[in-house]
Amino acid sequence: MEDIKDKNNFLRIFYTYRPVLLVLPALILFIIFFIIPVLSMFVLAFDKPVTGVLDLQGEWTLKSFLRIYNRSLYFNAAVTSVSLAALASLITLIIGYPLAYLIAKTENVTRNTFLMILVLCAMQLDMVIRLFGLMVLMGDNGLINGALMYFNIIEKPIGLMYNKLGVLVGLVQFSLPFMVLSLIGIIRGISPAVVEASRSLGATPNQAFWKIIIPLSMPGILAGTLLVFAISISSYIVPALMGGWKVMVMPLHVYQQIAEMGKWQFGSAIAVVLFCTSLLSVIVYQRVAIRIGGGRA
Amino acid sequence: MSKAKIKEVNELGTLVKIGSGIALAILLIPVFIVVLTGLNSGDHLTFPPKGISLRWIFAFFKSEEFLSAFLFSFGLALITMTLSTIFGTLAAIFITRFSFPGSQLLRALFLSPLILPGIVLGLALYIFYVSTDIGLARSYPGMVIAHMLVTMPYVIGTVSASLFNFDLNLEQAARSLGASPLTAFRKVTLPNISNGVMAGSVFAFIVSFGQFDVSLFMATPNNTPLPIALYWSLRYTFEPTAAAAGIFAIALVVISMLITSKLVNLQKFSGVKFD
Repeated sequence: MEDIKDKNNFLRIFYTYRPVLLVLPALILFIIFFIIPVLSMFVLAFDKPVTGVLDLQGEWTLKSFLRIYNRSLYFNAAVTSVSLAALASLITLIIGYPLAYLIAKTENVTRNTFLMILVLCAMQLDMVIRLFGLMVLMGDNGLINGALMYFNIIEKPIGLMYNKLGVLVGLVQFSLPFMVLSLIGIIRGISPAVVEASRSLGATPNQAFWKIIIPLSMPGILAGTLLVFAISISSYIVPALMGGWKVMVMPLHVYQQIAEMGKWQFGSAIAVVLFCTSLLSVIVYQRVAIRIGGGRA
Repeated sequence: MSKAKIKEVNELGTLVKIGSGIALAILLIPVFIVVLTGLNSGDHLTFPPKGISLRWIFAFFKSEEFLSAFLFSFGLALITMTLSTIFGTLAAIFITRFSFPGSQLLRALFLSPLILPGIVLGLALYIFYVSTDIGLARSYPGMVIAHMLVTMPYVIGTVSASLFNFDLNLEQAARSLGASPLTAFRKVTLPNISNGVMAGSVFAFIVSFGQFDVSLFMATPNNTPLPIALYWSLRYTFEPTAAAAGIFAIALVVISMLITSKLVNLQKFSGVKFD
């Protein structure tokens, strides 16, 4: 009797909580291979740095972080990372806004879908392949220098790549689709009636644009800029190829410290700094995104 | 209403058109250059271009380095897509159907690989694999797990969006007519969200196929995805064979996005996330 009751109890619990089985595979995967690894990386960053040793020393210290702060090599890399990402966000905004505006205001379904497919293809295509094209364009023997020399405008190739300019162009190419997609929704949400009203009150198209449309797109502008900042600062491949390891940024140091020097703790510390910088802008981004969502509903 | 919109575009037309032209040029010119390089007849693409030939396409089919990397990435993307779609769809159903304390947190957890820098996630996994010594470091299963983490947010995002749009009453109607929960789900709900599931899996495929950041710490000479192979070759030279491989990757992306545009309404798609 007891057995049957227990069994029934078990079955009832099983049926009540059965839906949890749906999420269990994904949850277990994320706990083991996402939460634990990221936490252990944080732990490692605060451990005593010993070259070539991954095992936990158990001596907590801020040595690695102080080293990033004190050594100009790493401090400058952080400054370069932040300034390049900030500049990329600004340029991407200026270049991306008109395209987002065009897509948002295109009513023709076929044309709209076509433009969206172009943007999505550009976004989803492997970044290394896009950089291949950019490098053939901007290299010393590349198309731009080749054309300029062919028409005798310059005598020697001008350095467009393997410097900060090259990295910046690469970052803009990389993040432009993200900016456009962040802006489209908010621009589409601006009621044409508001613009009409300002026009009927005597505003020129220019005034209507700067005084009505731009302020109303501000949440999208902010969200897009922060998103682009977060993904630009995290990019490894763009500075590695377009900067030719001459423009040192944080992601390059992370790889170098770990893969080439075996400095696990120090590499993790740089990764933690990188993670926190990008997380900070993402948190602000989500605050903004939530406000957009709330405003719309 | 729509007339006003058209008028607006016309009034700001020139500037918007010029700006959009510049943006599209920046997005697409590098892609065209890859296609040109892969199809040019010279040893590398020069200005002015020499001529068109298929020699690099043939070279790609004979290339040990790039063809095997391409096939490796293709297989990896298929496995990743399958697993991510199954895990992700089930999780999305749970998240959208059941609200409980912490459900928002759970949702945020599943979407968070989107915002974690890829190189940081790759490093964290690599540290975990090496330090636990469970045979996942520089292994194929280890790489599949890494790719699942970065592709599942796309599946969960797309499937949740289509579940939100689905009227739950339809499923309940089926239940009240005597269908078992599983039958009701299979016959009523699944057909209605299948477009979202398929779109999510297409995204999972293409994100895995083009994935560089998390693969960086996982790749070995035996396990080399295409982006990594291209990266190693690009560090030293611009090989047209690599561009030929790129042409096939471009074709794959274009096909995937055309399929996506048939499955979900791209006009409703805004922001990087799908909801």
